[in-house]
Amino acid sequence: MSTQAPHSEAFTRRDALLRTGLGLGWLGAASLLETEAAAANASGPPASPPEPIHRSLAPRPPHFPARARAVIHLFANGGPSHLDTFDRKIALEKYAGQEVPGTLPTERRTGAALPSPFAFRRHGESGLEISDLFPSVARHADRLLVVRSMHADVPNHEPSLMLMNCGDSRLVRPAAGAWVTYGLGTENQNLPGFVAMCPGGYPIKGTENWRNAFLPGAYQGTYVDTAKRKVEELVENVRHPFLDRDAQRRQFDLTTALDRKHLAARAHDPQLESRLASMELAWRMQAEAGEAFDVTREPQHVRDRYGDDTQGRQMLIARRLVERGVRYVQVWHGEGQPWDSHDAIGRNHARLAKECDQAIGALLDDLVALGLLESTLVLWGGEFGRTPTVELPQPGTDIKEISGRDHNHHGFSVWMAGGGVKGGTAYGATDELGFKAVDKPVHVHDLQATILHCLGLDHTRLTFRHSGRDFRLTDIHGRVIEDWLA
Amino acid sequence: MRHISLTIRRAPHPWPAVFPLAGLLIALPTVLLAGAQPAAAISPEQEKLFEEKVRPLLVARCQGCHGDKVAEGGLRLDNLPAVLKGGDSGTILTPGDPTASKVLKVVRRELEPAMPPDEPLPAEEVAILEAWIAAGAPWSGPGTDGPAAGQDAIPADMEARLAWARERHWAFQPFTRHPAPEPPAGLDPAKSLEWGGLLDRFVTAKIVAAGLEPAPQADPRALVRRLWFDLTGLPPPADRVDAFAANPSEEAWRALVEELLAAPEHAEHWARHWLDLARYADTMGYAFGNQDPRYPFAWTYRDWVVGALASDMPYDRFVTLQLAADALELPAPKADLAALGFLTVGRTFLGNPHDIIDDRIDLVTRGLLGLTVACGRCHDHKYEPVSAADYYGLYGIFASSQIPAELPVIGTAPPGPEADAFNAKLAELKAAVPTHEEAVRRRGTTAAVAHAADYLVETARPTPRKADNRPPRLADDYDILQGLLDRVSNRIASAAPTDPVFGPWVQLKGKSDEEIGPAVAALLVGWGDRPDPEVVNPLVVAELRSPSPTTLRGVAEAYGRLFARVAPEWAGGPVANADDPAELVLLRAALGAEGTPLVVLPGEAMQLASIEEGNEHRRRKMEITRHEAESPGGPPQAMVMIDREPLSDSHVLIRGNPGRPGELVERRLPKLIGGAPASRTSSGRLDLARGIVDPNNPLTARMIVNWVWAHHFGRGIVDPVGDLGLRGEPPSHPELLDDLARRFVDEGKWSLRWLHREIVTSRTWRRSAVAAADQEAVDPDNRLLAHANRRRLDWEAWRDGLMSAAGVLDTHQRGGRGVNPLAQDAMHRRTLYTRLDRQDVPGILRIFDVANPDAATHERSRTSVPQQSLAALNAPLVVDAARQVAARSLREAGSADDGRIERLWRACLSRSPDADELAAAKGFLAIAGTATPDFGPWEQLAQAVLASAEFQFTD
Repeated sequence: MSTQAPHSEAFTRRDALLRTGLGLGWLGAASLLETEAAAANASGPPASPPEPIHRSLAPRPPHFPARARAVIHLFANGGPSHLDTFDRKIALEKYAGQEVPGTLPTERRTGAALPSPFAFRRHGESGLEISDLFPSVARHADRLLVVRSMHADVPNHEPSLMLMNCGDSRLVRPAAGAWVTYGLGTENQNLPGFVAMCPGGYPIKGTENWRNAFLPGAYQGTYVDTAKRKVEELVENVRHPFLDRDAQRRQFDLTTALDRKHLAARAHDPQLESRLASMELAWRMQAEAGEAFDVTREPQHVRDRYGDDTQGRQMLIARRLVERGVRYVQVWHGEGQPWDSHDAIGRNHARLAKECDQAIGALLDDLVALGLLESTLVLWGGEFGRTPTVELPQPGTDIKEISGRDHNHHGFSVWMAGGGVKGGTAYGATDELGFKAVDKPVHVHDLQATILHCLGLDHTRLTFRHSGRDFRLTDIHGRVIEDWLA
Repeated sequence: MRHISLTIRRAPHPWPAVFPLAGLLIALPTVLLAGAQPAAAISPEQEKLFEEKVRPLLVARCQGCHGDKVAEGGLRLDNLPAVLKGGDSGTILTPGDPTASKVLKVVRRELEPAMPPDEPLPAEEVAILEAWIAAGAPWSGPGTDGPAAGQDAIPADMEARLAWARERHWAFQPFTRHPAPEPPAGLDPAKSLEWGGLLDRFVTAKIVAAGLEPAPQADPRALVRRLWFDLTGLPPPADRVDAFAANPSEEAWRALVEELLAAPEHAEHWARHWLDLARYADTMGYAFGNQDPRYPFAWTYRDWVVGALASDMPYDRFVTLQLAADALELPAPKADLAALGFLTVGRTFLGNPHDIIDDRIDLVTRGLLGLTVACGRCHDHKYEPVSAADYYGLYGIFASSQIPAELPVIGTAPPGPEADAFNAKLAELKAAVPTHEEAVRRRGTTAAVAHAADYLVETARPTPRKADNRPPRLADDYDILQGLLDRVSNRIASAAPTDPVFGPWVQLKGKSDEEIGPAVAALLVGWGDRPDPEVVNPLVVAELRSPSPTTLRGVAEAYGRLFARVAPEWAGGPVANADDPAELVLLRAALGAEGTPLVVLPGEAMQLASIEEGNEHRRRKMEITRHEAESPGGPPQAMVMIDREPLSDSHVLIRGNPGRPGELVERRLPKLIGGAPASRTSSGRLDLARGIVDPNNPLTARMIVNWVWAHHFGRGIVDPVGDLGLRGEPPSHPELLDDLARRFVDEGKWSLRWLHREIVTSRTWRRSAVAAADQEAVDPDNRLLAHANRRRLDWEAWRDGLMSAAGVLDTHQRGGRGVNPLAQDAMHRRTLYTRLDRQDVPGILRIFDVANPDAATHERSRTSVPQQSLAALNAPLVVDAARQVAARSLREAGSADDGRIERLWRACLSRSPDADELAAAKGFLAIAGTATPDFGPWEQLAQAVLASAEFQFTD
């Protein structure tokens, strides 16, 4: 945990004094739970005032004007193949079935070049090439910034997931969503600021993917299993197991009365007042969270556009959360590592894309229609891409036929839309066969630095002092890629 | 500065020797700027260039290492005179002459050291620097005439920095007794009580000096509740509160304090605080699919901590056992080996040894000393007097230590059928591992022998590797194993041309196929009809003779037949007989015995494993872990650490990169705590422990006294608690901290119970939590402790409070394997006995701010988020407790409303309701919802009280 002083619970007395006279009247004020440690006392010899420490989810201004105020990260976990989706390689046809020059080390043994079984087409005015796997996403081609020159550090899921989410392959660091809610707070106090949805269970590495690590616990991602349908199963403690709202209101009023009496006997006490306020917030949260996660409140035709299935439901929830001011939403494709197509890539990628394409297309449609895309950065991608060469079977691995691709961290694609990035653009390139990012390579740290930039955060200034030093999402790395900005 | 370092190395107990000297010997390295010229006036354009382009660039890119905090290489770039002066290696910049300015070469990476070290400066920023130098390096505003006041840089040289830091920083200086302030003359006798104890006099003097009065002593009822939660983490029984309220005498208070300090619940509660510091959890973190991440015996460490605190083990021994229980001269009792769990219950980072050691170094230094050393992994600390060499001195100590394959059994399971069944099953599971390894060895060796010729050819004429650098796969789908290939290569490389078995191969392996036939013929001629077995094994000759090979492949195949002929019987070879001829025996020794290139030892079997076999191996090991973690009847084992053979020192790893070793550092303590060398005949953990608990170590006693203080008051004298370094905050009461630390060591003999007693019997600790208006105005953060701090219960106390109110908590059931604190069948266990998976800390625990189990935590963060209230409203835990409270009140009071409400109140809040509350409760019962038989009016009433602020806070 942090070496930072916890100080008093929600308020320092100094905060409270600033608000004296408002009494309980400030229940529900946006800055209600805000509390920041006083800057360090300047008398210590080399001590410089550290950045103030945030302990609440109240909204805070960015470092500079932001392009985006929310992020939706669609995580195609397992490693989707860039070569079958957003990075067409004609040369794979030429080398089909042949050994290729420049095979790079990946996790397992690979053989000859494997052309994509999917056709690519140009879309929109920009003519961005996208494979037939993603027809609905392709409708938005002119809004997409496809980065074809991503690269990471190693060809293994665990470290690559950590790098993509937390900025470090091995060490215990907070997730990007935790950093962002730490930096900006969140706009709706009745909902969690950082939500991670994954149907059916956890992705590999589990809750580490949305951990707060040394940041205060309030910034951890709230996990939601979107395979579940009932609201009370989706959101922890959102509903009383026995009481209806009226009965609970009467109970709540009694608690409040006891609390007011307790408070009155203790003169003015900021902690107890904040506790009363927090109960009021919780009361409202029950209603609002229940409502936000309940997609049955959407008309049938809307649900049909998304697809009335798991992916459709979770994309729709993502939209409803961002609409309501949630800061950072992660939507994982599924438990484990679904996109990890070591074999039968044609069949598997087709199935996976079919599961989510319609829902992603509908999400983008709605964000555009609601005017939210401008201020919402949508990011799609996995933890790495896949090899242009076919994976060879080995006893003990689960591959059954020679028709898949191995992990590839040397080069892969992600796309972004909205949130102030340039649409209809392909940025960077992999080599002739799609093995390695060669033109304008982008490391994961750079992606993270640029996402923070879009949110109005300077990745070198978003720091937290822990274990005696100032940590940041990008550690000592990362550069903002100005070319991406609209 | 050199003589200081010598002093340190010589002194066996360095504190008294060094600290008094430190102040005398310092010559502060200066950036005094005597020769600085007055700044010339600069034009508005130049000012614009400097302020808009150059200064931001210097701040962003350079001053992190060359500024007021640190001046690496003696260079500062935050003021003009320093820029002109340059660093240790001379000037860097000539105003008006970019070509003569070294700094430009360095940022263009034309000259080493290239700067900035990690990321090259973008071309446009290089251009800005160039333009600025060409314009004569104009400077405006702050920094024109020298550094801002008080911003002298921390010396970069470590010896100088050590001396500098000892001179400047309170926590690096010796801690001594201080005379307690005297009460003012003619003090009102009623107020003199506040000056009663030593501790109070330090605190009260500051309060009075600030023009304030200390708050009165708290109400007796509030005090008892505060004391119970503070010392035991549990609510007081209502009748005990009544009893003290009826007789709130000083004697009664002291008796109560003694009773609670001696209670096992006290040890349990403070053990939980310590477990936060020890980053305790019951799993290793993330594990691969076929590995069980659980630590079956982490709980033996937890129980050891409870036991140590229950016996009031002196803190110096408490620490020593946790670092080196295996290494004491007077061997510790076997049960104390469990103390070593302190080092071993951390995350395992998928087995990365560097990260595991880093975690242990951080635990020991930051955890026990309040000092950050972990930065030394990559470079000298930016500001603390801690070098990379200090880090790698400790690194060697931990690299020379290991967790043994078999953990020692430190107790016995109760004998009986359960234990018998456990042991039988364990033996079976354990035997399954070598059985499997042997099968792997048999299969792998048989296959390797069958491909012996391929191995030989591959060493002589390696198949070109692809970028993935894997050895080739043969036509029959056999994968050449890199490990065996290396063994064969090494054997051949070390064989002389006259080696009786490998000699011919050594002579032939470099020849082309055209040359092979004649060369073999020549060899045969040379050996003659009756070859000398000293020169060449006759069996080799026979294989090369009929018929003689004409290609290298042919030679290899001849050898292949030899390998097959002497392969071990278990790998398909013929039976060895006692009367085998000598040449066969010798051939077997070279090609077929264990340890020869293709015949690995039993312990090396997994080198031959396929992915499938590797999976199976892990699965079998997982079965053992699962059995030990789940099955009843097993004896407890200690998660020990032992010394490793051979012991090793570590190189400094440049930028933390194992591929870039720098200087070798002998195992030793950090210079800041004396730098004593560690033993050469052991890992040095015992030396480390001794250095830490040296009574004159300036950090250890201050750290623990401040930590205990913080848990009693909600905030440390030094705040944050875990940072005694240069960048930490200075103490609010430095004399008090030092005096208390000195007395803790000298008078208290490191007894934590002594320390608790000093604190909770003070007037200061017993003050009311109600703040007076002037106290809030003058000291809003209550640093002066003019009143007590109201505190929210932590997660454990909150849950234990719920279960205690419910009447289900069984405080007599102590120790053993952890449980799921949210499960219905574990409601009776104290929350301490949680089995915590560091990979999956339940949401409700995180919401209530439990410590992150991945780093030493001195104090938890305290957030206030509505999810906490949501839990009070709806969490199954609270709802279940409410049902139990309702049932209990009926059981104890019968169905009459007044009596039952009274019981309910006393169960939840340790007091009876007043008239208003009684009326409110009755009113509620009358209108409460009745539609739900499972959660009727009484259950609802109980939950309303459990959800109240009074339940969740202590005054």
